[in-house]
Amino acid sequence: MTEAHDAAGHGPNINAYLIVGGALSVFTALSFGFNYLAHHDKMSVFSAFVAILAVAIIKATLVGTYFMHLKYDWRLTYFMLIPAFILGTMMMIVLLPDIVFAW
Amino acid sequence: MAHAVLEEQPQAHMGLPLSNGKLAMWMFLVTEVMFFTALVGVYVLLRQSAPSSGPNRWPSPHDVHVVEWMGAVNTFVLICSSLTVVLAHYVIARGNVKQAVIYIGITLALGFVFLGIKAVEYYSKWQHDILPGHIGEQLDHPVTGQQYAEKIRRELQAIEKDPKGLSEETVHECKALLKDMQESPDKTKYNPGLSPEKIGEGVMKILEEGEKKNPPETVPLTPVIPHGNMWASCYFAMTGFHALHVVGGLVIFVIILVMALLGRLGAQHAAFLEYTGLYWHFVDIVWIFLFPLIYLI
Repeated sequence: MTEAHDAAGHGPNINAYLIVGGALSVFTALSFGFNYLAHHDKMSVFSAFVAILAVAIIKATLVGTYFMHLKYDWRLTYFMLIPAFILGTMMMIVLLPDIVFAW
Repeated sequence: MAHAVLEEQPQAHMGLPLSNGKLAMWMFLVTEVMFFTALVGVYVLLRQSAPSSGPNRWPSPHDVHVVEWMGAVNTFVLICSSLTVVLAHYVIARGNVKQAVIYIGITLALGFVFLGIKAVEYYSKWQHDILPGHIGEQLDHPVTGQQYAEKIRRELQAIEKDPKGLSEETVHECKALLKDMQESPDKTKYNPGLSPEKIGEGVMKILEEGEKKNPPETVPLTPVIPHGNMWASCYFAMTGFHALHVVGGLVIFVIILVMALLGRLGAQHAAFLEYTGLYWHFVDIVWIFLFPLIYLI
């Protein structure tokens, strides 16, 4: 009963999916554009890197929120996702001391 | 009173109103997040350990023959496939099984397009010998320098024996380098000829001139790329594991299509499609992060 309700009872409508799909394509082109600007010295590499990373996070958020239905299921899944994000961030931090400059 | 008996009694459920399948899939995806975080974290660590410019810099996409537009096309392909899989779930939940099968078929096709482009990229790496452990680097070290010199000697001798469609100019340059290696005044009991660094410079010059030709020529000589072996290890680890995950997703899509072919797919499988979609969206999200890390900047 719960599965049938999950399947059909919630979720965005088809227009939302199409709009998000279009937005994702635009963001992909945008990150490619930032890369082009950086390689042609019209933008600093650091700014382009920050912009590209921000675009990647926005894209991932859009996919998670709408395609993965987290907009509706967040309250049911956050107890799994938040520890994963915390542990993932911790893993990145724990690896930082191993950055040894190989000049 | 009979009417009251026929009404469905509300049932008490233990735990969250979350289906077992969805809970299980999210738990699995959480483990996959940790898996890919480890790979990406190590890549970031290794990348930051190398300078960004200068002779000892981390390889740029051009150095390792990474074509940015191919990565962008792959990103677009996966985004489209994520859209089609979510549309498949949307229509099957509303009872339109036939339309769902079409969307799953399109998703499967797009998945194969992704793997096809990946195969072209991997072949290019193989052609240029950009493979873990193959690339020449740290040529000032006696062991790695000597190994590289011997490898280039064998490759130049192979080109001399069978030019394999290379231009006369390139073959002439390869023969000249081999001759220099054999007749170098640096040759001593312990040094087979030209120093490995000079050999490396000669090889890179031949490779760069080959690239400038129209059409570009792929000369079968091992390049010298600082941090190249580490780059190749990271590249194949990250994209290889991602590609394996894509293959896993395609297997599930094939299963769904076979079920449809056997007439066993129905609206009751909407949840199955949703969980498959969750997995596929995760694969898409991983690529969303891999694409800028590997192909851009």
